[in-house]
Amino acid sequence: MALPSIALPGQLLGPSSQYAPGPGTHIHDSQIYASVAGPVISTSHSTPTPTSTPTSTTKTTQPAATKTLPLLSVTRPSSNTTLHNPSASGSGSPVLPTIDAVVLARVTRLSPRFASIEILSISSLVCRTPFQGLIRREDVRATEKDKVKIEESFRVGDLVRGVVVSLGDQSNYYVSTAMNELGVVMARSRGGKEMFPISWKEFREVGGTGVTETRKVAKPF
Amino acid sequence: MTTDRRRINAPSGGTSAPVFVRTVKEVGYLQSLRPTRTRGPNEPRKIFLQTSIIPSASGSAYLEIPSSSNSSTTTLIPSSSSLKITASIQGPRPLPRSAPFSPTLLLTTTVKFAPFASRTRRGYIRDSVERDLGVHLETALRGVIIGERWPKSGVEVVVTVLEGDEDAWWGDGVQGGGGGGWGVLNVLAGCITVASAAIADAGIDCVDVVSGGVAALVRNPDIKNKSEGALVKVLDPCPAEHQDIVAACAVGYLASRDEITEIWMKGDVGSSPDELIEGATHAAVGSLTVLKEVLLEAVEAQVKGQVLEDEKVEQQQDIEMVD
Repeated sequence: MALPSIALPGQLLGPSSQYAPGPGTHIHDSQIYASVAGPVISTSHSTPTPTSTPTSTTKTTQPAATKTLPLLSVTRPSSNTTLHNPSASGSGSPVLPTIDAVVLARVTRLSPRFASIEILSISSLVCRTPFQGLIRREDVRATEKDKVKIEESFRVGDLVRGVVVSLGDQSNYYVSTAMNELGVVMARSRGGKEMFPISWKEFREVGGTGVTETRKVAKPF
Repeated sequence: MTTDRRRINAPSGGTSAPVFVRTVKEVGYLQSLRPTRTRGPNEPRKIFLQTSIIPSASGSAYLEIPSSSNSSTTTLIPSSSSLKITASIQGPRPLPRSAPFSPTLLLTTTVKFAPFASRTRRGYIRDSVERDLGVHLETALRGVIIGERWPKSGVEVVVTVLEGDEDAWWGDGVQGGGGGGWGVLNVLAGCITVASAAIADAGIDCVDVVSGGVAALVRNPDIKNKSEGALVKVLDPCPAEHQDIVAACAVGYLASRDEITEIWMKGDVGSSPDELIEGATHAAVGSLTVLKEVLLEAVEAQVKGQVLEDEKVEQQQDIEMVD
């Protein structure tokens, strides 16, 4: 069956024996249906021939079989409102933080046990509304976790790159910065000046004042 | 009606268009103004639908069902009402801090008639009919939304009825649109269709596109005795065009799954309610064809806009490279 170029919710896309369900689809009666309106994308462009599919499903185990199947997904087109009026509150993508998603967040509050943050973008998609999250003291870095001090790792207003480790409790997503590439990416000093990273734990003020501050620094790419 | 102290309220009775004295003096004249159904019993009214009309909402839609009867030139009151509804979707957004943990999407629906939506003026505070409609709309939508895809989030569906179908023709002396009559079923079906369009526009995961439809059993005025053929089943009834509606039914219908998520039946259905429900699903399929076409058009336009935007960005990058 030929795939439609654009699908609407509830539209039949194909049997689950031939395709794997991706984002924007759901399975009902072992058939894959679209669940959002948008263009249909099949990741592996070589659609399996009718002869090869039954053999692969019978020979191999289920996880291996799904690996060979092309992934069907329906993407949400960025809405017109986003293009015309980026400042409108309806702009941004309808995304939720998921586990292992890389997020950018701003630090809003510090406490001895954790830093409160608001997640602004998820996997390079801008959120419609910021999500509340927190970085616990033991999630700040991978080594010497017991010696971490929150006030020496973050300051209110810092931009942090982190990874979601848990969907957390009722209000907070739990974010970790325990990797070299994760941590503070942009920070201002106590004097309000911009700073640049000089080591894995220090930022220095711009302008030759020589003032340094401690942070959990994200390794620049 | 509860009064709102924060606003300057209009007279509670509202203003009504003047009625010419001829309608009172001449006996047969008023009845000659009565609108009649010109379309066939299985023919629904035309529908206008558009999505993405409110920039600040994540999804929105506007639905209009214009009145089918020709507007009368001899009175100031339109012979039959039309239906104008907007829906906007706020969210999905994170739940407020005080809310308890929810593994699924929390759906809130609000249906509000504009104060000028019917001939009797509505209050600013939601009355029982509006709350009732909100609950019915929520059950209709709850069945299609895949809530597990949006843990810890809430979505608000706000439906505003700008003009509601009236419960009866104005000449019958019933104060139209007072609520609780036949017109409310048409309003519910319209709400379901327009909310469904707005939800698809907002990109919330659904198992299908739900659409609303109404069917009614009306007494044929030409047959006087209450014999078998006196009752006729009509799709999408306009209450002003039918003098004697016996029963009516509104459904929220998933066409590709053949499932009903919401049903509201009124009146004396008799021995065969299934026939009426089936008629309502046929009407729902009728509005679904419009709904699907509008959604497809909107997605195509968005995809085209996205491609243009990408090309523009590419061109800009080329220019920068040349520099």
